[in-house]
Amino acid sequence: MRGIQLSLNQTQKPRLERALERLESLSSKSNPNASVTVADTIPVNYEDGVLKGHGTSELDGQVVATLCGVVERVNKLVYVRALRARYKPEVGDIIVGRVMEVAPKRWRLEINFSQDAVLMLSSMNLPDGVQRRRTAVDELNMRTIFEENDVICAEVRGFQHDGSLHLQARSQKYGKLERGQLLTISPYLVKRRKQHFHHLEQYGIDLVLGCNGFIWVGEHVEAKDDMVEDQANKSEQQNSKSTSSPNLEEQEQTYTPLEIRQNICRTANAVRVLSNLGFNITVEAIMETVNLSSTLNLDIHEMLGAEFCVLTAEREAERRSMLTKRKG
Amino acid sequence: MLQSKSFVRKTKGGKVLKVVREHYLRDDIYCGASFCKACDSSTARLSSTAATILIVDTNVVLNQIDLLENPAIDDVVVLSVVLEEVKNKNLGVYNRVRALCSNSMRKFFVFSNEYHKDTYVKAMAGESPNDRNDRGNGGSAIRVAAQWYQNHLGQGTHVLLITNDKENKRKATEEGIFAETVESYVKSLGLPGLLDLLVHPSSEDVGMEDVEDLRPLKRKVIYTEHKPMSEITSGLHRGIYHQGKLRVNRYNPFEAYVGSESIGDEIIVYGRANMNRAFDGDIVAVELLPQDQRHEKSLSIADEEDEEEEDVHLAPSSADAAPRVTNLVQGSAGDINPLSSRPSGRVVGIIKRNWHSYCGSLEPMPMPAGNGGVAHALFVSKDRRIPKIRIQTRQLGNLLDKRIIVAVDSWDCLSRYPSGHYVRTIGEIGDRDTESEVVLIENDIDARPFSSQVLACLPPLPWSVSSPDLANPIRQDLRHLCVFSVDPPDIADVTNFVHPGTPLDDEAAQRGTSVYLVERRIDMLPKPLTEDICSLRADVERLAFSVIWEMTPEAEIISTRYTKSVIKSCAALSYVEAQARMDDSRLMDQVTTDLRNMNALAKMMRLRRIARGALTLASAEVKFQIDTETHDPLDIGMYQIREANQMVEELMLAANVSVAEKILKHFPLCSLLRRHPSPTKEILEPLLRTAAAVGIDLDVTSSKALADSLDRAVGDDPYFNKLIRILVTRCMTQAVYFCSGDLSPPEFFHYGLAAALYTHFTSPIRRYADVIVHRLLAASLGIYKLPDIFQDRAQLTSISDNLNYRHRNAQMASRASVELHTVIYFRKRPTDTEARIVKIRSNGFIVFVPKYGIEGPVYLMARGEKGGGEWLVDEQQQKVKKIDGSISYGVLQTVRIHMEVVEPQPNRPKLQLTLDQGHVA
Amino acid sequence: MEYVSPEGLRLDGRRPMEMRQLRAEIGAVAKADGSAVFEMGNTKVIAAVYGPREVQNRSQQMNDQALVRCEYSMANFSTGDRRRKPKGDRRSTEISLVIRQSMEACILTHLMPRSQIDIFVQVLQADGGTRSACINAATLALADAGIPMRDLVTSCSAGYLNTTPLLDLNYVEDSAGGPDVTVGILSKLDNVTLLQMDAKLPMDTFENVMQLAIEGCKAVANYIREVLQENTKQLEYRRGV
Repeated sequence: MRGIQLSLNQTQKPRLERALERLESLSSKSNPNASVTVADTIPVNYEDGVLKGHGTSELDGQVVATLCGVVERVNKLVYVRALRARYKPEVGDIIVGRVMEVAPKRWRLEINFSQDAVLMLSSMNLPDGVQRRRTAVDELNMRTIFEENDVICAEVRGFQHDGSLHLQARSQKYGKLERGQLLTISPYLVKRRKQHFHHLEQYGIDLVLGCNGFIWVGEHVEAKDDMVEDQANKSEQQNSKSTSSPNLEEQEQTYTPLEIRQNICRTANAVRVLSNLGFNITVEAIMETVNLSSTLNLDIHEMLGAEFCVLTAEREAERRSMLTKRKG
Repeated sequence: MLQSKSFVRKTKGGKVLKVVREHYLRDDIYCGASFCKACDSSTARLSSTAATILIVDTNVVLNQIDLLENPAIDDVVVLSVVLEEVKNKNLGVYNRVRALCSNSMRKFFVFSNEYHKDTYVKAMAGESPNDRNDRGNGGSAIRVAAQWYQNHLGQGTHVLLITNDKENKRKATEEGIFAETVESYVKSLGLPGLLDLLVHPSSEDVGMEDVEDLRPLKRKVIYTEHKPMSEITSGLHRGIYHQGKLRVNRYNPFEAYVGSESIGDEIIVYGRANMNRAFDGDIVAVELLPQDQRHEKSLSIADEEDEEEEDVHLAPSSADAAPRVTNLVQGSAGDINPLSSRPSGRVVGIIKRNWHSYCGSLEPMPMPAGNGGVAHALFVSKDRRIPKIRIQTRQLGNLLDKRIIVAVDSWDCLSRYPSGHYVRTIGEIGDRDTESEVVLIENDIDARPFSSQVLACLPPLPWSVSSPDLANPIRQDLRHLCVFSVDPPDIADVTNFVHPGTPLDDEAAQRGTSVYLVERRIDMLPKPLTEDICSLRADVERLAFSVIWEMTPEAEIISTRYTKSVIKSCAALSYVEAQARMDDSRLMDQVTTDLRNMNALAKMMRLRRIARGALTLASAEVKFQIDTETHDPLDIGMYQIREANQMVEELMLAANVSVAEKILKHFPLCSLLRRHPSPTKEILEPLLRTAAAVGIDLDVTSSKALADSLDRAVGDDPYFNKLIRILVTRCMTQAVYFCSGDLSPPEFFHYGLAAALYTHFTSPIRRYADVIVHRLLAASLGIYKLPDIFQDRAQLTSISDNLNYRHRNAQMASRASVELHTVIYFRKRPTDTEARIVKIRSNGFIVFVPKYGIEGPVYLMARGEKGGGEWLVDEQQQKVKKIDGSISYGVLQTVRIHMEVVEPQPNRPKLQLTLDQGHVA
Repeated sequence: MEYVSPEGLRLDGRRPMEMRQLRAEIGAVAKADGSAVFEMGNTKVIAAVYGPREVQNRSQQMNDQALVRCEYSMANFSTGDRRRKPKGDRRSTEISLVIRQSMEACILTHLMPRSQIDIFVQVLQADGGTRSACINAATLALADAGIPMRDLVTSCSAGYLNTTPLLDLNYVEDSAGGPDVTVGILSKLDNVTLLQMDAKLPMDTFENVMQLAIEGCKAVANYIREVLQENTKQLEYRRGV
């Protein structure tokens, strides 16, 4: 069984166990016996006709799971929702990825999928914001937009007929992510929602919950409508780098205040704790965790300790039982 | 099926290696008491009424195994920890305990305390298994188990720990366990006979003084102390000592040989002092004696020899059964000792004892005052290689005229003889049944009836060939052919009934061969097989394994075919009948003509074989006529060999050779073959001297040369040639079975038959080797798969070793049985007869009596006086002369002798040969 | 040497048809997509699965199925004597291949074209039956990685000593030199995916031994199922809705 890899002391251990047991008792009511393992037969009503979805196959006329997960039924469709697995892209998903390669007219991104995703140069809004045909010059300048190891936020455009996954970034909100931390968690912990971009104003940070389990916590950047200016800044920056005599103003711009950096770390650690415990990652949960750590006056590094982990679990148990009570 | 209750890791610190083993503790190990309600009683062994349950410790098992084997001791729990220790210390005793535990008649139960969750005793940190065993010997594990039994079975049962270890007993009592020593327990049983079975620990030597008083000996150090093991090991390492198995000369117990690999030669050990308490079969460490001491030593033992006396015995049939060349006589005669180059040595330590129990009788002695008391007696083994053994007994009067079995316990350097204890009585001395049993025991022959498991493997009776047998495609139907059998075998398909791995097969493998005694036969396979199902009787359908040759009229084999078959014998003839038919010219029926044709072919084959250099040897086999009622011998005669015998022999040889070729071709590494090593120069030496003395030159360079020179050796009387052949025969070593993977092809040679390959195929009913060969042959034909054991060469080798051992024993037993019956025969019939001198001795000569096949000494002068008196011995010329020259005897000369059974000591009858001086032929 | 006492107990106290204690833990390697530790008595193996992911060497990429790779190694401290073993020796290569082939038999590779799945197994403690333990660990790790599979491959060995078929040989029994039959099966489909023996054994004995090994595989499969089921449940309830 999956253990939580922390050294717990004698009192923490039973507390964590109790909290987890509470969670179990809360959930078992809502979803009994739906979990299957590989090769388990899934009971279905054949008379109604069955559509076999993901994670199922047929063996001797029976529907059999090919994954470990939870059986879901939507009308006639029966599928197994895998829990721990790589990312399964769906069109429109907002994802965070990392550039692995700059190839002709495209970037290849690692997005925790079974292959690298492709972001075509043509699927990008150009920095000048003008809709036009991409020229050979644009192609040569691709690295000025994204280069290797850049972290990018984009949207799933769809599969091409050759089976490759294509992305697009045709909006101001997509693009390169800077001055922050990238966290990778298991994708099943991120639920698809309307909003995946979050500006946490009180901390001055941006939070991007990529559907692929890549989570970005970074300094807030105002989405600038004036891309030209941004671009100008950029080129200036680059110029300044090359001249290696940065002026004060630019330093001011690249400098992230300590407080914000601490906020980034605190938020990132909140994500780490939640994902370690296997709890759903939502803005609310993250914020609550961050708040909890603040109210306890914990140092950022203490959030990764055993005590905070147990506290988070206990609070989650408390929260969910409140929810159920309210519902009941 | 509970997998593991909990487990503990057992760490064993070896050299640098750390070994971690799992050790599963269980809760499904049962107590073995059939009245126990908590446990599964399906495997229970302890009796339902057992009021007392004994738990024995290691030393009790090791030392008192004879007591445990007595049926009076029962309801014993043997702990696995005890078994393990016993196994490490003495495998022989271990096997005996195991036999007891698996004997359904006895109530011995093995309790795996090591694996029981409540009785497991954890090893202390840093403790090696040996330490643990030593501690276990004291018995914390044993006590824990005893405690568990007591608690488990409740107060209704008395759990008694039997230990001779004081410390252990004290601790047990402290822990509230009932504990007793063996002696006190046996006393409490009130069976005085059992006390004789007890081994008395050598530490309390009080009783032994008495026996020393009985003999005119001072209590002094008689033997040198054995060197400690560490010194022996280092000595062996440095090459000062040599390790080997001590073999005592069967005919001279004061001479022993140690085959040493480090020297590559045999080391001779003369005298009890040099043998230093070693027994036959012990693995010993020997120190070589300096050259000058050897001679001296050999002289000094001569006086010890006074109790030594040569018996009349059966003429040996091979070198293995013959006396070893002894150079004692030559040594004392002061001649140049031709064998003095042989190293001689002295035993300095015994690496492994080969003690077991021995058959024999007590030396006659006066009854001590008061019959009920403890008496000390000397036991004389039937096996002359074994020294006398001192025992204590409370039933001396009973035992004096009995054959008994005695086991050896110890031999310290202060005592002249080892001490032992009485095991059981066989019967009255001289009684034929008793003596026959002695013969069987001496030769390790299992004559017990077959167990029910073995008998369960037999096909149901009455048995007949069934239709599936006939329908089986591997079996050829030969019923339409005229098939007949002459004496022992056509070759029945025994392996059709004896399947590998069955109890029947195991039993047969263990017995190895049927044993033929004069008055009875001990079968290798149960009677229904031997006498019915696998007996190819006339006019009955039987399954056989056939070798079919196609031959030219010149007896050249054109083709050979092997097949399982169904036959219907039209006649089962004995040798005599077959011979009579062939000789009777009036008979012209099919069987008789077939016989004659076959005989013609066999004769040609025989000639060819002889031309190849096969030896025509002769044996001095005798045949008894037995009274059907009393089983007493009525007459003895030499075994007559007819043409029919030779014919069957010839065909059997051919079949065996054909089969040997076939199986070796298919299974070059795991065939069972039979080889006959060429005799060595050394063995032939005395024969050549004897022959030279009578003017015959034997050429022994090859079997062919020998065969030719034997043909030339014709004396003035008709028996001369046969006598020479008999003498040659006894120089030959025995042929032996071996596994073809163990030797290289040139070593496969069979000297006597002059065959490159040979095996035994023709008598599966009475020889296990043939059973194996049948299986090999069937596998080579693709009829059956080869059983597992053939994959395992080591196991195959051990099987062939066992077969050799069993065969040798069977022969020794037959001979012993014949000797026994010879004595019985002559008991009432003092006889005068003709004999031939085969060897001249310093005080007489050895004669061979052709008519009765026996051999024995004829003394010309009283014991002790050598070369004195009126006789002059010339050993070089092999002649004895009377001083006045009136009479002289030479080797191979015919003499008249008188045979008579005398009883020099009560109950010890022996056959005596004396010269009938009036009649020198 | 007596490997089964007349009382029917083996050297470590098991009966001939009993397996050693099984223990499994999922998620031993945090960075891997799937991972597991599997123990059969004192044999302990760790497995990590990466993928399906972009194929590292483009030339190996297959357009209709995933590429499965496997690397087996033995930790230097896995045996009593600490010998530094060269990597990629014949034995390791062979076992790597054996595990890869067993796993390929159950992974639905056609569902993940143009990708690569890496399986790393390392023996942490060796006490006989390492290749069975490796396969079992790899199966668990694959299931943990959410890789679609036909069925669970499980493996177990059985041997034949003292004319008794013995299930799940430990090191002492394994080094007795008797035959050692390693079997891998797809328990639900009742297919044999692996069958290895480097000794001779008569056909009917072999069948018994193999049958015993199959029973062992089934027991392992049941255990692995339990573990996976429990793991899935935990993941699901912890996540919350």
